[in-house]
Amino acid sequence: MPAQPLKRVLIANRGEIAVRVIRACRALGLETVAAVSQADRESLPARLATRSVCIGPSPARESYLRPELLITAAKGTGCDAVHPGYGFLSERAAFARLCAQAGVTFIGPSPEAIEAMGDKLAAVELAAAVGVPRVPGSGRIAALSDAHAFSVRHGFPLLIKASAGGGGRGMRIVKRQADLARALDLAATEAQGVFGDPSLYLEKFIEHARHVEIQVLGDSHGNLVHLGERDCSTQRRHQKLIEEAASPAVDAGLREALAEAAIRLARQVNYQGAGTVEFIVDDDTRRWYFLEMNTRIQVEHPVTEMVAGRDIVVEQLRVAAGAALSFTQSDVKRVGHAIECRINAEDPARCFLPSPGTLRVWKPPQLAGVRIDTHCYAGYVVPPFYDSLLAKVIVHAETRALAIDNMLTALGAFEVAGVPTTIPFHRDVLRHDDFRFARVTTRWVEEKFLAAAAAGPLLGRCRATSERGHEFIGRSGGLGCYRDRGRRDG
Amino acid sequence: MELSFSDVQNILKIIDEAPHLDEIDLVYGGFRLHVVRNGAGSSKPVAITAARDSLADKPTPPAIAPPRAETAAAVEVPAGVVAIRAPMLGTFYRASAPGEKPFVEEGQRVCANDTVCLIEVMKLFNSIRAGVDGKVVKIIAENGGLVEYDQPLIFIAPASQERS
Repeated sequence: MPAQPLKRVLIANRGEIAVRVIRACRALGLETVAAVSQADRESLPARLATRSVCIGPSPARESYLRPELLITAAKGTGCDAVHPGYGFLSERAAFARLCAQAGVTFIGPSPEAIEAMGDKLAAVELAAAVGVPRVPGSGRIAALSDAHAFSVRHGFPLLIKASAGGGGRGMRIVKRQADLARALDLAATEAQGVFGDPSLYLEKFIEHARHVEIQVLGDSHGNLVHLGERDCSTQRRHQKLIEEAASPAVDAGLREALAEAAIRLARQVNYQGAGTVEFIVDDDTRRWYFLEMNTRIQVEHPVTEMVAGRDIVVEQLRVAAGAALSFTQSDVKRVGHAIECRINAEDPARCFLPSPGTLRVWKPPQLAGVRIDTHCYAGYVVPPFYDSLLAKVIVHAETRALAIDNMLTALGAFEVAGVPTTIPFHRDVLRHDDFRFARVTTRWVEEKFLAAAAAGPLLGRCRATSERGHEFIGRSGGLGCYRDRGRRDG
Repeated sequence: MELSFSDVQNILKIIDEAPHLDEIDLVYGGFRLHVVRNGAGSSKPVAITAARDSLADKPTPPAIAPPRAETAAAVEVPAGVVAIRAPMLGTFYRASAPGEKPFVEEGQRVCANDTVCLIEVMKLFNSIRAGVDGKVVKIIAENGGLVEYDQPLIFIAPASQERS
């Protein structure tokens, strides 16, 4: 039984995840308040929620990233809980603490658990301490000599990571000894600028890596379960594009080992709510390593929901209200295969340039076994202030091969006009033999797929350059394609 | 004379730019500003705690506002008046403290620089000024209630239009 039943939940997020959380609240009979920026006043979450409240101007740093506004809005509208979604304030321990001080339930783990996993170096060290292997790596780099010593032992290329980074941010590949000193300098300056913390550490660079992650759920009664793995190896610049469950690269033995490690780590921080423990699996050696833990709901949670038949957001809400999880580990059965494609308002022909604008036509496919998570509708104006995710297309089928075929059908039937989307990119990837035969590792999109496509019509104007990714070579010239977006998610 | 939100921001900016200043405690009438720098070299070196002692026992805002189909910002502004809009979301107060005289009443004349209300965001009180000379026609926001960003708070009939 819930210890403190919730009545009204403030949705401290926007876009598709706000819609997703509102639907889960409705399923449980909870009222919702959509906290919206000025740009999102007329958005779908604002209309679906019991009420909406405008918390500030459109830029996220003046609205969705302001803890004091969200807490004032929660208190002022009679909410007893706040759902942070992903991105924005979802992994800020200070926000979770402020919620507690204000007497509002933060729907997520404890501030201590967020903090333990928030510093990425501290997290890998914690993992190593409980016997969960980390990628061979250093401690905090205090001097250039530390970095030299590490490179002598492990060789090049190596990876510089920011302790305060995560989710693919704050990383830099170094290929040669000669570049090391300068790369460290740049990375420290960048880390200070972006995260306010210049601390760095080094990791051995794994050439052919699969990104495999385990979904965990915990409650306040000491129950901790996992829902198996997702494979998110199809990435571009560390941003996931296609996710699937099960992983085609994971057998029963590996699944069990990863899940056991994930549970062990989650237990170490007394984890409550939904979380994801991410691993790297070395495709050449079959060794696996802990990468990081995300202490929130993830974008790609639906693929797990489809194969496991569980509503992860509903479980988050139950657990936050003090109830036990609605199922135990032995109840978890996974059926079939699910794939998710992230449909972004980006132009794959122009180096994935974010492309806000009006959706003149928006007709998602209506097919058996296809789920669409979206906040978009025909006539919706995609604002330029936030990330470019428009929709997630999720298919569920008996086998992976059928899921790929059904996804191709679904994407082929998806009618969008007004803004360019990543749909053509997804169709090309899904038709590629490397995807069908599960040969995709985390750098495949950039190093193989896009490099080959550079000669073809779709991506003819993009070409691979440095580890920073692809450079846009527009006809107009000078238009850079690298755009740092406000919110990223793993 | 009152300190406005932008005054406080300017004070913080001055402190932020002073390299050897680690802490400041400023008392200004009933207003106290206490700033502590959190370790050198951090990109966010200033932690703010601001409290208005005279408001320590302010009334708690009503817990639940009734559901509304529309957002409050959609209130229609009649012709010939200017709406003072909320520059931030927060709790709206008509007076500097419970029991004190409200800053303005309907029918009262105001100058552009006059404080007409306060908006509180987590213990930080922001003075809102009229912004225009004229007469208070209507006070729309409810004392102690939540106001949304950009919501009309007070209607003013500008003096410039009275003359014309």
